[in-house]
Parts: sequence; structure tokens; C-alpha cells
Amino acid sequence: MHIKLEQRHGSSLLWQGASYGLAILAGFVATAMLLKLSSADVTTAFEALFRGALGSQRAMLRTLVAATPLILTGLAAVVVFRARIWSIGQEGQVYAGAMGAYWVASSLADAPLVVVGPLAIAGAMLGGATMSGIAALLRNRYEVNEIFSTVMLNYIIVYLLSFLLSGGPWTEAGTTVAYHQTPLLAQTAWLPHLAGPLHAGILIALLAAIAVHLLLERTSSGYDMRALGANQTALRFMGMDVPRIVLVTMLLSGALAGLAGGVELLGVQHRLKADYLFGLGYGGIIVAMVGGLRPAGTVAVAILFGGLSSGAVDMRIQSGVPDSLIQAMQGTILLFVLCGTALARYRLTWSSAK
Amino acid sequence: MSGLFQEAIFVSLLAATIRIATPLLLSAMGELVTQRAGIWNVGVEGTMLTGAFIAYIAYAVSGDHLTAFALAISAAMVLGAITAFLSVTLRVDHFITGLGINLLASGLTLFWFRSFVKGKAQPTFDSIGTVPFPYLSDIPVIGSVLFDQRLLTYAAFALVPVVWAFLYRTRTGLELRALGENPAALDTMGLNVVARQYAATIFGSALTGLGGAFLMLGFSDRFVPELSAGRGWLVVVALIAGNWHPLRVTSAVLAFSFLESVATHSQAIGAAVPYQLLLALPYVISIAIIVMARGKSRQPAALGESYSRS
Repeated sequence: MHIKLEQRHGSSLLWQGASYGLAILAGFVATAMLLKLSSADVTTAFEALFRGALGSQRAMLRTLVAATPLILTGLAAVVVFRARIWSIGQEGQVYAGAMGAYWVASSLADAPLVVVGPLAIAGAMLGGATMSGIAALLRNRYEVNEIFSTVMLNYIIVYLLSFLLSGGPWTEAGTTVAYHQTPLLAQTAWLPHLAGPLHAGILIALLAAIAVHLLLERTSSGYDMRALGANQTALRFMGMDVPRIVLVTMLLSGALAGLAGGVELLGVQHRLKADYLFGLGYGGIIVAMVGGLRPAGTVAVAILFGGLSSGAVDMRIQSGVPDSLIQAMQGTILLFVLCGTALARYRLTWSSAK
Repeated sequence: MSGLFQEAIFVSLLAATIRIATPLLLSAMGELVTQRAGIWNVGVEGTMLTGAFIAYIAYAVSGDHLTAFALAISAAMVLGAITAFLSVTLRVDHFITGLGINLLASGLTLFWFRSFVKGKAQPTFDSIGTVPFPYLSDIPVIGSVLFDQRLLTYAAFALVPVVWAFLYRTRTGLELRALGENPAALDTMGLNVVARQYAATIFGSALTGLGGAFLMLGFSDRFVPELSAGRGWLVVVALIAGNWHPLRVTSAVLAFSFLESVATHSQAIGAAVPYQLLLALPYVISIAIIVMARGKSRQPAALGESYSRS
């Protein structure tokens, strides 16, 4: 027997959708096997995981809290990847965003929320956009591939933050340097809560998702971005200002990722500490890819992954399984999605041996 | 400060440069072969991390260096095979493939590490000892810098002329280079493009895994998540900066290693700059290096493009 891969002509939407669903399912099965390998009780762990994610109203609200930054970093990845700009700087832009928001909020400690809130949010967007703006300039001016500039900037910002928080100007006074954190922000800078643990950041994230959807589908700038992704050479021949489109796309993406850092700082942590922000950027990349690089899909997957990471805390407490299981699960799901979407472009054909 | 003290720092600085260069060089020589075959593997970071982690687990369990190295290489080869399957067979964009490999490796190693050390003290161990060359290691300065290193360090530097000879002086090497320039030509000659690209990718990943294992066992006393800390990315940048030529890539690797060595010696040297900022230096310089290398680039013409007959 001879098995062959043959390219499908005009892959169906049904197949595409099914491939995402199957890939996520396969990710769950693989994770169960991983748990089995680490000799954990799979049923107890999964039960605690799902109860922690969806078991009560409070659990569901916590899921949305965890989803909030992922929606924003996911959107940041959607914007650049749709334009086929391979920026993986979301991780560093989250840090820069939180730093921008912290700088504004701590400088305006006496001002009321109506003043501090919007300004700190703007600081977050500016922080993220500065990082991505550097990468865009390096690409436009010096032909530096954005993959490398954004990766290197991710490492650079982490060292910069580490300096600021341990020995540098933002180190919490009176504590040992070992905490690597700033003091708490004044309460006037905290985002208001909507219900229980759920803070107003979710509204910002959902509004951003709608805005990105409208931008990509309904505006000429969005069209330019998608056209850049589809055929850069054609765009250049049409006389379009490609460097400008790259810059605008990158600035928008950086602002979204920075927003994630700002919202997490002002809504949840209220102090700056690198550990709190770790993985939000890379998580957003996975969310965007598994969400099919569409804003709606990104929101849905961010809520799924937010639920997993919020449930993982319960799982760790009840079954002892480390909550980093979620990172492993996300990585596995991503790989299955890559295989699944690629395979959806093909059909398997069987024929008897020649 | 006495002259003797300064000389000791100088020797230590250079010896550390050679040591730090070892994992980068092993990986760079492997990935050079991969990229010359047209496969743009950006999953180097994740592959190196996996090599380091598997070496850690294997050594903690078995206590045997050879087992640890063998398992690290095998695990990295599996990642190489997955990379090849995605980018050659399924023709997924090479960047997306590498991104997937990096994120997978990052998640899996983090989880497995946390599961492994859960509820017990983190095992630590002595790094592999140096093997001084007889007579040569007695030469002042040069002896301590070059000839009092670990076996794999000698192997890594010996690999450079070997890879050069393979690429430029053998028929297989010529075919491999042609693969990165014009795969269709090889296909027309009836040579198997897919098999060669698989082999080149798995070979590169094996050496990257070995580099990761050395990173762990050669100079770390314990594993920390994200141990590779961007070294895989520096390897990819070194290939660009070195214009895909073994000797120039080696110079780029040595430059990065020297910078990292300076950062780790900053206190001994008495630098007034905070050490975190010095540690960020290789990443800053790597961007500068790409800026300087632009325009002179002779990257393989078909690098990163999945070959398709139609």
C-alpha cells in the first residue's frame, strides 16, 4: 500500500475549523499522557483544573481576569502576523508597558483615578509601542530582520528591569534587594473592579478586540496590513509606502502588548515584578495562532487558556501537579495546530503499491 | 593592583571566552549545515534548552556523563525530525515551525523540571573537569587559555575545519550547498531533496542538543528554567554575521563569548556599570552586528523556502 499527501484545491472552511478543534483535543490527550508519565493522578488533576476554571461564579470571573492580558497580547500577535511581520517582541513589550504604566502611576501618586487611570494606560501603550517602534525602525532603516531585533529586545528589557528592581531606582525601600519588586502603587491607580476579582481591564481587552477586528476588516489601513502579508512586492509596485505600513503595524502591536502589561499591573498586581509578567507575551503568540489569527478566535482561545492557567492554581493545590502544566499544554496544542492546519491543506490518498 | 593579579584576570577572561564559546560553536557548526541545506531553523533556542534539560535529568538520574550526552543528543534529534517534518514535508513556514519548537520546548521543560524537583532539594553537581593537554598546557597564558579546557571544547574547535572540509571539499557537501541555492537542480539530477534536508536538520539539531548538554554539564551546577537564555538565538545571528562561512561564523561566536565573559568578570575588572546592563550587552551588540553585516550578505538563495515540485 502506498500513502500519499496530495494538495487540496480550495481547502474548505469546515476542514479548517475541524482541524483547530481536533488539534486542541489532541493537545488535551497529550497532556493527559504527560501527567500519566509524571505519575500524577490524571482524573484528580483534570477535575481540579476544570473546577478551578469554571466550577463557580468566582472561578469563572478569575478565568476572565487571567484571559484579559492574553487577549491583548494575542491581538498584538494577530496584527503583526496578519501582515506577515514576524515580531515576537510581545513578551518584552508587556514588560515595557508595565514599566510605562508604573512610571506614570508612581509619579502621579496623589492624583485621583480619573486622571491617573487614563494616563497610566497611555503610559503602558507608549512603553510597548516604544519597543516595537525600535524594531520597526531597525527594519526600515537598517534592514534588521524583526525576528532578531524583537528577540534581542526581549532579553535586553528583562535585564533593564532587573537592574531597575534590584539596586536601581525602583527597588522597594526598606526590603532586601532579593524581592526584585517595586512598592505597591497608591490605591488611586488601581483599576476599578466590576464584580469580585474581575477588574475593568476585561472591558479594555474586549474593546481592543472589536477595534482590531474593525480595523483589519473595514478600514484601508487594515487592508494595507493584510495586503502586506499577502504580497509585499505587489504592494511596493503599487507605489505603497511599505516602511510606513510596517511602522504603523508594529506601533499598534506594541501598544496592544504594552496595554496587557499595564492592565495586569493596574488591575491585578499593583506592583512591578518580573515574575508576574513572565510568559504573557509568548502565551499571546500561541493564543493568536490557535485562534486562527482572527480577533474573535483570539478572544475565545484566550478565555480557554485563561481558564486553564487560573484552574491550574487549584490543580496544584489539590493534586500537587505543577501549574506549569499549562505552558506544556499550550506548547503541545500549538504544535498540533501547526500540523493540523497544514494537513487540512492536503488530502491523504491510498493506492496499492506499484 | 599587582601585575600578577591583572594577568590572572586576563587569563581567566580569555579561558572563560573559550569555554563559553563551546556550546555556541557546537550548535553553530550544526546549524550551518542545516541552513546551507536551505532549512531556516529558528528553533535552535528551544532545541538547545531541550538538550540542556535532558542532560540534567539524565545525569541526575544516572550519574553518568556519557548517558546524559547521548540522551540529550537523541532528544534534540527528535525535535530536529519534527522540525523537518513540519517545514519540509508539511511545508509550514520555517519561522512558524521554529517558533512552535521553541514554545513547545519552553513549556515541556518547565513542566518536567517543576515535576522533577517537586518536594525535594534541587540536585546540584560538579561540572565536568578540564583535561589539560600534556606539555602544551604548560605554555604561559596560551596554555591556560587554550589547552586546559574540557574535551568537548577541543572537539568543538576541531569541528570547524571538519565542517569546512565537508562543505567545500566533499561531493556530499557540494550537493548540500546546492540544496540551499537551488533545490530544483538537485531534484532534476534525481537526487533526493527531502532525505537530504531531513538529514541536515537532524544533524544540526543533534549538535545543538550536544551544545545544550555542555551548557548544562560543562559550566552550570544546577538547571534553571530557560537556562539557554537566548544563546540559541545568538547562534542564528552568528550565522548571519559570519555570512554562512565556518571561519567567519566562528569569529562571530568568539565575539559574543568574549562579551559574555567580560560581563561575568565585570566585578573582578572593576567596571562601574551595573552587571545586569553588562549581561544585556551581547544582545545589544548582536543587533549592531546585523546592521553592519547588511548589504554584504550572501545568504543561501533558497534559505527558508520549502521546496515543492509544482
